[in-house]
Amino acid sequence: MSNRRNNILILGIVVVLIGIAAYLIFFRQPVSDATRLGLDLQGGVTATLEGSQESGEVSREEIEQAANIIRQRVDQLGVTEPEVQVSGTNQVVVSIPGITNPDETIEVIGGTAQLSFYQVLAFEEQPNVPEDEVEETRKDIEENLRDDEAYKKGETQILFEESPPPQGPGVYVAGYVVSDKAALTGQELKQNGANVDFGQTGKREVTLEFTRKGGSQMADLSQKMVNDGLANGEPSRLAIALDDDIQSAPTVQDQLGRQISINNDGLPEGLPEDEATQLETVLNTGALPVDMEVISNQTIGPTLGADSLNAGLLAALVGFGLVLIFLVIIYRVLGLLADLALVIYAFLLWGIIVAIPVTMTLPGLAGIVLSIGVAADANVVIFERIKEEVRRGKSPRSAVQAGFDKGFRAILDGNITTIIVALILYALSSAQVKGFALLLAIGVVLSMFTAVVVTRALLGLLSGRGVQLSPGMMGVSKQSIVDQRKAAV
Amino acid sequence: MFSKIDFVGRWKTWFAISGALLLIGVGFIALRGMNLGIDFEGGAKFTITGLDSGTTTSDVRQALPAAEREDALIQTYGGDGYEVRTPVISEAESREVRDSLGEELGAEVSPTVISPTFGGQVRSQALQAVAAALIVIVVFISVRFEFAFAISAMVALLHDILITIGFYAITGREVNLVTVVAVLTILGYSLYDTIIIFDRIRENSPSAGYNKRRFDEMINTSIRQVVRRSIYTSISTLIPITALLIFGESTLSDFAFALLVGILAGTYSSIFVASPVLALYKQWRATAAKNKPAEQSA
Repeated sequence: MSNRRNNILILGIVVVLIGIAAYLIFFRQPVSDATRLGLDLQGGVTATLEGSQESGEVSREEIEQAANIIRQRVDQLGVTEPEVQVSGTNQVVVSIPGITNPDETIEVIGGTAQLSFYQVLAFEEQPNVPEDEVEETRKDIEENLRDDEAYKKGETQILFEESPPPQGPGVYVAGYVVSDKAALTGQELKQNGANVDFGQTGKREVTLEFTRKGGSQMADLSQKMVNDGLANGEPSRLAIALDDDIQSAPTVQDQLGRQISINNDGLPEGLPEDEATQLETVLNTGALPVDMEVISNQTIGPTLGADSLNAGLLAALVGFGLVLIFLVIIYRVLGLLADLALVIYAFLLWGIIVAIPVTMTLPGLAGIVLSIGVAADANVVIFERIKEEVRRGKSPRSAVQAGFDKGFRAILDGNITTIIVALILYALSSAQVKGFALLLAIGVVLSMFTAVVVTRALLGLLSGRGVQLSPGMMGVSKQSIVDQRKAAV
Repeated sequence: MFSKIDFVGRWKTWFAISGALLLIGVGFIALRGMNLGIDFEGGAKFTITGLDSGTTTSDVRQALPAAEREDALIQTYGGDGYEVRTPVISEAESREVRDSLGEELGAEVSPTVISPTFGGQVRSQALQAVAAALIVIVVFISVRFEFAFAISAMVALLHDILITIGFYAITGREVNLVTVVAVLTILGYSLYDTIIIFDRIRENSPSAGYNKRRFDEMINTSIRQVVRRSIYTSISTLIPITALLIFGESTLSDFAFALLVGILAGTYSSIFVASPVLALYKQWRATAAKNKPAEQSA
């Protein structure tokens, strides 16, 4: 009988699939490592950075380029499995699992690392400001500088420097009036032109080497500054800024060439070691092509992640168990078959999650739980149809046939709408929601296979073996058959 | 089951029930407004876990830096945690809050900071997603069934969304990104229910022309044939959702709450709203078609 061969073939395929899933989940690696957990379940940092630039829209290329640079920077942090993705037209989402110092990390990855050089037009400094008065001092300095004749709104800007003081306690705070446009930027830096080095005094510094063009620009700028200095009777200062924070502003006495260095004479060993290497990293991976601003940032502690995971798993298992019981109560033998199909469904779904691999997140877990309900629904639709046909007096065998044939159309239409919604969610929403949409869609498609094809094959095989289903075994009472007949008459 | 209920004829009763629920919801929205989370408005949220038992809300408030103490909203989180929400604050301020909470309470603090720009984007994305879903669904149903079915399904969908939002206003639960996902899921799900009933109506539809008494009776019969199915499918989905509501931590539980309300509303609306609307719409079209030639000849 070809029908029976088909059923055996289908069940054979199911067994093979289960075998593959079992290999992927249990044998390829320890079970505990099989499923890739999202940050919300294992702890870590997620930050969304948005690119912007003054000259207008950020192009797709620029944002891809920014993402690449950020990826290189994250890689140099030496963390495991970082993810850097472009989202939408101008955003980059960075996820780093299990990290402990989110602040520094975000600074390293999100700092534009736009190196700029300016001629200082006016400045004011306060060498020993106590830690908690820095903000206030900055405000005072800003007010004073706005009154300075060098400050012209729209043409100049005020940038600040905060660094350890050359002598004594507190913080060295200085404000500088500089032109709105940098005289020279990090674009003119030679490839890998930034290096940690020790200067003549033995202090740690970062040396910068410019391209030929950059070198000549620097020569022009410094020459002009030397001349201005002679005219004013006071040497000009060159402000070196990284992302609008002034690193240092040395006086310029001579014309400068292709090499200059960023140093900190205030500290005995020069630049602190981490700061110097950080600077070297960001300058050599290159400046981001656009300004990146952190617009959302989330840190999940490891305890919070573990709690969420446990709660989610418990909810999924309890829900799953109760659905299995519900189906048996309502549909008896048919329910048992549906349960078997549901268990197969759950296992194959896990296999798919490991195979792709899909990163499991909290919303993803919700998608799975919901898809368990959807999978059970398909069986309910078919079984109700079967019961209806039985009540109309059809033999169990032809009722099963009719139930699957007629129920399938409703299931298909219903599931297509769910898939449409899932696709829209996937296309239009943020990374978090994508996980939910993806798992819902996978779940719905898989459930059509297990709930319709597999259940039918199981049922076919059962009746082929000579097992006769009585109406009672399907959960149809004799009374309701009689009622239905009366109603029909 | 339900063999004595006239689903179509007593539409005024069913609509009154929905109308009353909707009015209460709208009243709450008007009076108290929605509790919009930081996802849409921007702001910061600090989830505190691993606390010593016996830590109270006022302990948490005392642990906040002075600047944020007044405006912060403190809620319990899960069994023994707390969640602190503040209005939009700077990156530096959020660090201060995190460190201060962590040191004073000796607990793990997980901050989430969202800028108003990002919040605005999330909001418009969410609205776009809902609008896109509705449009695609109308087209899909019009193709698979007919336009009258699409209109009726849409009325039922709007009904479900409004009821869900109304319940959020009534219970004062936080509306966030998860809620939007839930609403979209409800769209898909409520439609599933409606489509199962419409599928039966389609199957039972006579090929002959429209006759009000016959059509209404046919809808009643179709509903009676599938109502059990529609209730069971709802139960089989509500079971895992209830498990999420009870056992899931705050995000999952919020999601489950929205789905619970939405699916209950969806089951009701596919039986008591979508089908009567379909009958009324058909009747209106038929009357319009009859009057039109009459007007022309006059």
